[in-house]
Amino acid sequence: MSTSVNAPLAGKSKLWQPPIVGIVTFVLMFVGVGLAHTMMVLIEHGLGRDTTLAISPLLGFSGIVMLWLGIRSKSENFQTWIGFFGGIIVWMCWVEFFFMWYGRENWGMLPRMDGPDGLRVSGTWPEYMIMGSTVGILLMMLCFYTFDKDTRCNMFLWFQRRLGLQDSLGPSTKTAKDRNYAIITFMETFFVTWFCYAWNLLCFDPALVGDDLLFKGINLASVFVATIWSGYCFTRLIQFKRTSTALRYAIPVGNVMWVNVEILEKFDMVNAIWVDPWSYTLEMSVIFGAFLVLVALLVLAPKKPSEVGGRRRQGASA
Amino acid sequence: MNRNPRRGTGRVRAVCAAGLLLALASAGAAAELVRLPRGMGGVSDIGAIPCKVFSQMVVVAPQGTRLSLLTWAAGYYSATSGKALFDVVSAANAGGGPPWDFERLTGQFVAYCAANPEAITSEAVKDLGRQLGLEAT
Repeated sequence: MSTSVNAPLAGKSKLWQPPIVGIVTFVLMFVGVGLAHTMMVLIEHGLGRDTTLAISPLLGFSGIVMLWLGIRSKSENFQTWIGFFGGIIVWMCWVEFFFMWYGRENWGMLPRMDGPDGLRVSGTWPEYMIMGSTVGILLMMLCFYTFDKDTRCNMFLWFQRRLGLQDSLGPSTKTAKDRNYAIITFMETFFVTWFCYAWNLLCFDPALVGDDLLFKGINLASVFVATIWSGYCFTRLIQFKRTSTALRYAIPVGNVMWVNVEILEKFDMVNAIWVDPWSYTLEMSVIFGAFLVLVALLVLAPKKPSEVGGRRRQGASA
Repeated sequence: MNRNPRRGTGRVRAVCAAGLLLALASAGAAAELVRLPRGMGGVSDIGAIPCKVFSQMVVVAPQGTRLSLLTWAAGYYSATSGKALFDVVSAANAGGGPPWDFERLTGQFVAYCAANPEAITSEAVKDLGRQLGLEAT
């Protein structure tokens, strides 16, 4: 990505102003979650499951190569994009496909069944049963961000304030200039995806919430929390001017909103066309086309010099 | 004295209906008793599920579903022929042809259920038994 692209236009576009930047990035990330599901299905069926599972470690390594390229780049915008796509690829290949291999093939697990007679294959396939068990590891990893004085994530900063940690931790030793947004976006994408999966899986687990009133109550409460949380963040997102910052902020906003989609699908209120692209070829093609147009628009959108390798804005954070 | 024959028939029907309800309730209660603990994967009686369900399970859990029915089949063959699965397979392999290994044995279940979605899985087990030379199945 050229460091000089559109730099003279920075801040002069009448289109790329709030709330357009925030709206576009939110739609992109929200739709992107669905399309990531579609991509997995297409890879699995295109290459065949055995081949996919066999080469998934190698495919995942391509995400690390992308990350390497991103970290070497001086452009914050390029770093953000590459970190996002690298994170998605590594998540799909090193987590989802690998768990799939472990659950479905290596360990020979069985899917969780539901329905009145217990004879309906639920959406909790072996890989998701494994993933549900990683909650403790996830929370442990999130402790690092909670107690790290250099974290700039608004949610962890909020925790630090509420826990009275800011005085103890002291001021951050890093400025925006010291940060590499490729690894930040990469880790953000990975952890946000993991967190949202864990959220849904815990709320779907009949061993924890049963399958009747408590199940409904917990999941409706989830819809409430996810809508309020992502809605609040959306109101902040639509105030963003920089596309790179907005992209990073939109990752959790889109993913938390997607928690609702998974719950509605669990309630049989949504037809998950994104995991059945052959039956909905036209619809999914239109959505994918729209996604590509949004990506192109954001790539071509005017950038501030700080986004494309020039001076970094102080305090620009994910 | 039964002056109204229709009345008598009504009583018989009522008794039959009550019996049927009781039987269904008992079956439902039994099914509830053997229902898996919440959170576990799989079904409590893999030999008694519709082939259509088995075929769906195989898609998302190929090895576990195959193994589950093979374990059920081993018990069934042992009960009907007195032979352990290992002995049944050894005898079948002695007859020549492609070896009966895990893939081939369980592949028969998958193929049978794909071709007979309305059947139940025990019929797939019986079909494999016949192919292995177990006449009694």
